[in-house]
Amino acid sequence: MARVEYENVSKRFPTQDRAAIDDFTLDVADGELLVLLGPSGCGKTTALRMLAGLEHPDSGDIRIDGKSVVGLEPKDRDVALVFQSYALYPHMSAKDNIRYPLRVKHMNEAERERRVGQVAEMLSLTALLERRPARLSGGEQQRVALARAIVRQPRVFLMDEPLSNLDAKLRTHTRTELKALQRQLGTTTVFVTHDQAEAMTLADRIAVMDRGRLLQLGTPDDLYLRPVNLFVAQFIGSPPMNILAAEVRDGALLAEGTWRLPLPRGIAAKSVSVGIRPEGIELDESSPDAQVGEVLVSEPLGSETIVDVKVGGALVKVRAAPQVRPDPGTRVHLRVDPSAIRLFDTASGSAIA
Amino acid sequence: MTPRAETTVARTVAAPRGASWLETIAVHAVFALVVVFFLAPFVWLFTAAFDGRAQAYIRLPEQPTVDIFVRIFTEHDFARALGNSVLVAGATMLLDVVAVSLAGYSLSRLDLRFKSWITYAVLLLQTMPLSATMVPIYGLAQALGLRNSYLGLILIHAAIELPFLIWLMKGFFDGVPRYLEEAAWLDGRSKLRALIEIVLPVARNGIGVVAGLSFLAAWSEVLMMIILIDKQDLKTVPLAFYEVLRTRGGYTEVQYGLIAAMGVLYAVPVMAIFFATRRMMVRGLIATSRGL
Repeated sequence: MARVEYENVSKRFPTQDRAAIDDFTLDVADGELLVLLGPSGCGKTTALRMLAGLEHPDSGDIRIDGKSVVGLEPKDRDVALVFQSYALYPHMSAKDNIRYPLRVKHMNEAERERRVGQVAEMLSLTALLERRPARLSGGEQQRVALARAIVRQPRVFLMDEPLSNLDAKLRTHTRTELKALQRQLGTTTVFVTHDQAEAMTLADRIAVMDRGRLLQLGTPDDLYLRPVNLFVAQFIGSPPMNILAAEVRDGALLAEGTWRLPLPRGIAAKSVSVGIRPEGIELDESSPDAQVGEVLVSEPLGSETIVDVKVGGALVKVRAAPQVRPDPGTRVHLRVDPSAIRLFDTASGSAIA
Repeated sequence: MTPRAETTVARTVAAPRGASWLETIAVHAVFALVVVFFLAPFVWLFTAAFDGRAQAYIRLPEQPTVDIFVRIFTEHDFARALGNSVLVAGATMLLDVVAVSLAGYSLSRLDLRFKSWITYAVLLLQTMPLSATMVPIYGLAQALGLRNSYLGLILIHAAIELPFLIWLMKGFFDGVPRYLEEAAWLDGRSKLRALIEIVLPVARNGIGVVAGLSFLAAWSEVLMMIILIDKQDLKTVPLAFYEVLRTRGGYTEVQYGLIAAMGVLYAVPVMAIFFATRRMMVRGLIATSRGL
């Protein structure tokens, strides 16, 4: 149970010319599952490791429950970290791995056994406790690593891409379990990933990072519907948001030179970037005033079809019903839902309010 | 790791696939020659040790006897020499393992200023020939009262091998992932306890190799023993040899049988220990050649 705060934290590694973390401020509420999301090298892992005490900020403050932890050794922070590689002790059985943090705390043996048993039960590890990590599958190792973190009942869980070494099916399954487990335990959790789908499904709130900076902090819906800039718009969502170059002319938007789109509100800029989610565009056979495009390819996904349409020089992805399967070369009409249109300043990438 | 290591070894030893019978014979002949060359001294050692009239060449004993072994213990106090050697080599090994663990870990993990300089300086120390430092070591030992003491012999033996062993151990530590000790720190352990409980057990092959090499080096070192020890009750096995050669036990010719019997008792325990721990040693040495 704890609140975590980063305040104006900066960090630069001596071997790099760019700051790994640049003036990073973030507030994680008690019991919240917050995901740090971004491409590799964005600083998300560094931010996590600073909270763990494995890296030290050059400036700024990091607090847990209002108390600064800067300068505290990892052992004195009472946080548990699940590593991407799991970091199980190879010379110890699964049970000894899980028991290790309790042994460190000099907990009495009866209580220790009770807790290990309870956590093993919770994560279906009871039958595997005597095995060494080398004799466990990736998914089992991952559960042992989780168990080792949970058994301590730490103030904060830190997770550094804990699911990325699992195969796709197991990853989705574990994701669901992890979320349920976190709800059940109610422990503040900071979870690092580069996978936007993982972030969207797990998070109470997501902090999107790029090049050491926090770009946007918000609920998954906030980020999806109201991205603050082009980077977030294209990083969140699969397939990502369509981005088209457009000009403002006669109170309307002219995308790709020919495509007339409704202008949501009056804006001063002359040239902008238009963002439209794939589900904001409809394939329409009837309306004569709709934009004409040529189908490049249809990607049936079972529950939906993603249709790639060429409009002028741009490629637009459209989310369509599963039974819609236009052949390549077909001419289609596109109609855009006016409320789905987002505008961005082309030069800075920022959303235009 | 083990199966792969074994196939690698097998592949280098076996004749290349598709070799003609002539090549096979040639390869084996060369091997046989090398084997004979290296095995001959051992054959001499074992035949001469049981031969009442042993010579400086290999001959089968006419009347095999264990009298010589009895004599080295009764007349030459060999038990004391063996005991002293075990004590000195054992203590040297313990001291080296502790020092090498700490130093190797520091060079592998800590962010020190001038670390690469320090690392190479350590290696440079190893290139210094021991005989060149004989006189100052003697003087130092004399001044510090470390002559004719177990402690002096142990400290100097431990120091001699230290640079090389530190480098070796640094390589093993480099192979231990950092996240293992980070996990231990977060589990609440101090850095020293994490080293002892997590890093050292994971690098145990390296510790085994360091211990083995350190013991062997101290066990077979002669020069320092000669210059530092001249008390009868402190003599080690090499000094017992030296004594037999020097005094000739009152006879006119070298007592080859005595030397051979001592040699057997000097060599066999070490070979036995190596044989018992061969898996660990081989695994460790293979890891070394890969790591460095």
